Formats: sequence, C-alpha cells, structure tokens
Amino acid sequence: MQTIGHYRSMIGVMLLLLAMVMLVPLAPYALAYVQGGGGVANPGADLWRDVRQAIPGDSQVQGVDAGTLISARGEQWRQYRMEKLAPYSAAIFAGVIGLFVLYFLIRGRIRIMAGRSGRFIRRYTVADRWIHWFMAAVFLILMLTGLVLLYGRWVLIPWLGPEGFSATAAFCKWAHNLSGLLFILAVVLMFFAYLREARFKFKVDSVWFLRAGGYLGGKHPSSGKINAGQKAWFWAVVIGGALLSVSGLALDFPAFVQSRELLQDAHLVHTLTAVFVIAFFFVHIYLGAIGMEGSLEAMTRGTVDANWAREQHDLWYEEVKDQVEDAPPDAGAVSAADVASPRTDA
Amino acid sequence: MARMKFLLDAKRCIECNGCVTACKNENNIPWGVNRRRVVTIDDGSPGERSISVACMHCSDAPCKAVCPVDCFYVTDDGVVLHDKDICIGCGYCFFACPFGAPQFPKDGAFGDRGKMDKCTFCAGGPEPDNSAAEYQKYGRNRLAEGKLPLCAEMCATKALIAGDGDTVADIYRERVAYRGAAGLSWGWGTAYGGRQRRARGVDNKTSSQD
Repeated sequence: MQTIGHYRSMIGVMLLLLAMVMLVPLAPYALAYVQGGGGVANPGADLWRDVRQAIPGDSQVQGVDAGTLISARGEQWRQYRMEKLAPYSAAIFAGVIGLFVLYFLIRGRIRIMAGRSGRFIRRYTVADRWIHWFMAAVFLILMLTGLVLLYGRWVLIPWLGPEGFSATAAFCKWAHNLSGLLFILAVVLMFFAYLREARFKFKVDSVWFLRAGGYLGGKHPSSGKINAGQKAWFWAVVIGGALLSVSGLALDFPAFVQSRELLQDAHLVHTLTAVFVIAFFFVHIYLGAIGMEGSLEAMTRGTVDANWAREQHDLWYEEVKDQVEDAPPDAGAVSAADVASPRTDA
Repeated sequence: MARMKFLLDAKRCIECNGCVTACKNENNIPWGVNRRRVVTIDDGSPGERSISVACMHCSDAPCKAVCPVDCFYVTDDGVVLHDKDICIGCGYCFFACPFGAPQFPKDGAFGDRGKMDKCTFCAGGPEPDNSAAEYQKYGRNRLAEGKLPLCAEMCATKALIAGDGDTVADIYRERVAYRGAAGLSWGWGTAYGGRQRRARGVDNKTSSQD
C-alpha cells in the first residue's frame, strides 16, 4: 500500500514540474496580456486598428461622424442596395405579378357561383371606406415615388434624360417625404377602424390558411366578416406600416438622425418592409379588384350582393342575413367614397 | 494621362488644419460644410496621429454607384466630380462613402439636405472651366489652371500630397526609405484597392504597394 502511495506522489510531483516547465515561458505573454499589450506597443498597428474599426478620433471640424476616418459599412450598404435590393425586389414584384397573370389565365375571374341575387348587405361604413381610400391614395403615391427613386436610374434616365429625371426624382423625393407623414396618420386610423374585425380566430382562420382560402381549388373555406387572408393583410399593413413609419421618420429628418449607421439601418428596415408590403399589395389588388366578382363594390358602394356574402363570408352572412335589403341602402349617400374611386359595377 | 490621388503621411501631419482653411477659402465654401477635415486619433496619448481626409476620388466610387440620379462622373484625371444641377440631395452618397466626404448644406426645415458638396480635387464641375457659374457652385478649378489642390500646396509639412498617383507614391516611397520606418500613409487600400478591401474594412500601408 505504501509503495503505491509513493509512486502516486512521485508521478504527481513530476507532472506538476512538467506543467510548470511548460507554462513558465508563457508568463511574460500572460503578463503582457494582463497589462494590455505591455511594452511592445506598435503605434502604427494601433493606429490602423483604430481606423479600421472606425473608432472615432477628434476633429476640429464639427460635422456628422467627423471623427470617423473610414466607415466600412458604407460598402456593405452599397452592396445591399445595388446588388440585392434593386434586382431581387424587381424579381419579387415581377414574380408576384406573373403568378397572378398566370392564375387569371388559368382560373379566370371567380364569379359569384349562384349569380347576383340583386339584394344587398351593408359591409363597410362611409368612415371605413374613407379611411381605406385615404390609405390607398397615400400608399400609391409612396409606392410609386419610392420605386422611381429605386429603379429610375435604369428605367427612367434613358427615357427622360438626366435633367428630366433629376426634376422627376426631386419631386418624388419631396412627395415621398411629405406623404410619408400622412401615411402614419392613415396607419393609425386603419388600425382603430379595422382592429375589431381583424383579430385572428384560430379555429376558423387556421382552416382558411390550410386550404389557401379556396383559391387553389375546393370551395371557399368558412370565414367571418373578414377572412384570414384579409386579416393577414391588415396586420402586414399595421406592423409593416409601423416599421415603415419609424424608419421613414429617421430618414425624413436628417436634423434629428444623423449618424450614417442609423440611416443605413433605417434604410434597410424601410426597404425590406416596403418590398414585403408592396408584394402583398399586389395580392390585395388582384383579389379585391380584379380576380373576384363582387368584391370591389364593398369598398366603393359599401354594400355587397347577398349571394357574394353567403359564398365568401358565410359566418358573417349568418349574422347579418336578416339585414338584407332590396336596393343598395345608401345609394345616394356614398358619394364620398365614390369620389375617391369611381363606382365600379363588377 | 495622370491618375490624381491624395496621399496623407501620418508621420508628418501636425494637425495645423491649414489644409482645411485653405480649402474653405479657395473654394468659398459656406458655413456648415467642410470638404476636408483633420482627424486626430489618440489625441494626447502616445501614438497620437493626425490624418487629413477629404474625398479620395476612389477608383470604383461608391457615391457614383449608389446615386439614384447618376449625377457623378469621373474626369480623365480620375477625379470624381458631380453635377449639382442633377443632384437631388437624397444623402445616399453620404451613406455609402467610407470617408465621410459628401456634405450637405442645410436647406430648409428639419435639416432637409441641400445639394451635395464635396472635394473636387480643385477641379470644379461640369460648367466651362473657370466660369463664374462653376466657381459659385464648386469653387476654384485649379487643375484647369495647371495647379494642384490648394490643401496640399498649403501643407506646411508636406504631409498631404496631391497629384498623379505614381509621382505621389514615388515621393512617399523615398521618404519611407530615408526614415527607415514603416509607412504611415493611409486610405489607399480603401480608395484605390477595390471593393473587396473596402467591404472588409481593410486598409493598408502604402509602403509595400504601388
């Protein structure tokens, strides 16, 4: 027993010595590490490291980011905007539009199956419609002016010439910056106007999503006044609108947000959200105004045909079927919405 | 044909701001706009260095690439210029530029950007050389008069050198050889080294290059 104990302690001591022999040469490095570089400072290396990491120095010039010598993020932003945002967003928009053209060619306009009943149900109040068309007008302006600023260099300069496009782009920038403020108002109004109807109801809405709204075959899945797709669009507008508003305000007022990093981030958020919302907007336009018989008049006249309601929003129809009227209820009182969008009889 | 470049020797710059003053005076630059600035790193500490920086007139200029109205152009001398009649003051060149060169006079409410202003390498703009319109918008066109940018001409220690890239590099190489120390010029990798280097934020000491 004793010898085994001896061997153990001998081996232990030798291992300890070995470890010390190996570790001792590292001591100065450890010391230097603790002292933060120690006595081997290299002013040149330190300088370039600071410059590279965009650690700001001091400058007599009072300007935005004046102390920063090199900001490498500018190049990342350039690559994002020129090599990702511009081509990919164009591909996404073309893809979505292309899919709908294809869908229209294959499926055609989806008719009211039972035909028009000639009897009507109120669907949206005048206030609902005003808010909708106010948002629509502001959104269209923002979308078009924004896309001009993104694609104009390739699409419009060959057509308008440099001076002509400069004037166009200056106008678009001005219009975009101003109507952006109205957009914030529109998002807030829309949020309060439609929130009650747009809350997801898991049972109904999950089935709607699973069956893709019935657009790819099968009959319309059940839905309340607002179907799950419309709810998703509402939340895309509200959440996307909030992101667009916050990032847009940062970009709109350089007096308050000045650092390049913040502006680059704001631009990233603004454009990614915009691409998503615009793509979704194409879906909305197709389903609301082109692809479905009897849908658009809900937003223009405020009423829908009873058969349309029964087929597309069956749960809502059950709630309101005792309010079916024989003539469009406020035929004379909807001029407000009709001004915003000419009456379209589908 | 020359390829105009700036070179700043950080071993020589003494932060006198003579280049900044010369630039403002020669080009009649309004308040709030500084085409050139001197940045001091580690001010008051060992290893303190000062660097004068303006538009470096990059080979593959990010400002020119991102401009939504395509208002930039490059002269035969490699100088990156822009047309203020086309500029819409969107600020994208300022987002993209690694050197913080583009400047914007405040032009209206909430700091709305006016037309961009930046170093022209004392080469004016698209108007006829040395015309009143050119001077009013872009400042002096010294290159057209056969002179180099005034910031470099004024530099008391010749830390800032401007001119054809080959000549400038030769002068600098000779300096480095005599003083026997590593080079402390800066910015050439970012400005003239292409996009890969710029994306990685890699800069270099020019002593080993060009």
